[in-house]
Amino acid sequence: MRILFIDNEGGGYADYLDIAEHTTIDQFFTIKMSGRSASDFLIRVNRQPVPQDYVLKEGDRVTITPTKIDGA
Amino acid sequence: MEDIREFIRIANTVHDELVKLRKDRHMKLLRRLADLAAKFQELARDSRKMGVSLARGWFTAAESSCWGVRRALGEMSCSISQIQPMAEGPRKELPKLSSLVEELRQLQQEFGDVHFDDEQNSLSVTTEPVTLDGLYLGPFRIQLQLDTLGRVYDMSPYSVIALDPHPASTDESVTHPHVRDERLCEGDGATAIKAAIEQGRLCDFFTLVRSILNTYAPDSPYISIDEWDGTPCYECGYIMGSEDAYYCSYCEHDFCEQCSTYCQSCEEVFCLQCAGQCENCQQMVCRNCIVKCAECGERFCNLCLDEDVCESCKQESEVQENEEQRENKDRTDDRPAAEAKSRPDEGPAKLAG
Repeated sequence: MRILFIDNEGGGYADYLDIAEHTTIDQFFTIKMSGRSASDFLIRVNRQPVPQDYVLKEGDRVTITPTKIDGA
Repeated sequence: MEDIREFIRIANTVHDELVKLRKDRHMKLLRRLADLAAKFQELARDSRKMGVSLARGWFTAAESSCWGVRRALGEMSCSISQIQPMAEGPRKELPKLSSLVEELRQLQQEFGDVHFDDEQNSLSVTTEPVTLDGLYLGPFRIQLQLDTLGRVYDMSPYSVIALDPHPASTDESVTHPHVRDERLCEGDGATAIKAAIEQGRLCDFFTLVRSILNTYAPDSPYISIDEWDGTPCYECGYIMGSEDAYYCSYCEHDFCEQCSTYCQSCEEVFCLQCAGQCENCQQMVCRNCIVKCAECGERFCNLCLDEDVCESCKQESEVQENEEQRENKDRTDDRPAAEAKSRPDEGPAKLAG
């Protein structure tokens, strides 16, 4: 199934991704942000906070934004 | 701000600005393409000249045209590398009005309150108080100027305003290690911020700015947290930044410019208490370079001593030497007369006998 993923770390690009059915948001985070802690990010699905066992659906909009970013 | 009509009004303004931004990008691209086309014509001209010169056996002229070709190719290569990313363009379509309204609702959820200033045409949110490594900086207002969104690649369309300022003691304009004159130095967040604005993801924009405000990057602040309260001069107490402090290696304290000096001989910096003054030239000299005159015991720099004797003592000693020499000379001149006086006078003595 297809979801929209907005990665606000680095380039901040929005891309459509194909993911497996029944993927939870926690699993998605682990795949895309391997080795990172979810507590360091603001994770929103369709602009809302969701529990980690939320199962992603076709057309969901997922945004992941770091809570700490180095300024200059 | 709860009125849906106000959300729609703001969303309309944002949408119009985003259209301007896209249009502006395309206009810039067109201008660059026009410049590139002009360079192609220049290249074609030089190439024709080169052909004609070679056909007529004018080798020097052909060389000159070849130089023109080389230069045009270099400039075109540079232009193409700059134009290509511009032509790639944004990957996303312009956001719909409904999407922008949803962004504003989400913004209100994330930040608790969103303020729209009709006069300034700005959208603002307030952060929670920021504390970095124990340094309290207070809350900040992130104010996005909606009518400048279209120029996001030329100028920063937002300000970061300290609402309970605790600026650095040496520079009041620095209210946060990464904020000066209400401008945030975005660092690692720069690209994501521009992308968020360009795509109309208002909530992401404000969230990204908040993330930068909540992070201390010790390698690149305007003023580091360690130096936030400045360094007091050990002598007069004046508060100064580390760049303005002078370290005395004798007493191992920091001093301001007024309370420090440098040795004229070795050019090291010292505080006024640890330095001395040359009796002759009055220049400041450090303890290592100040020397006592072997004659008078006064202190001088090494430039004002000649074989450990100051000029004054040297002159005195020369005068003394001269006097001694004169005295010796006088004594030598007087001796024959003295000797002549001490010998018996035969003439008159004989007559008496």
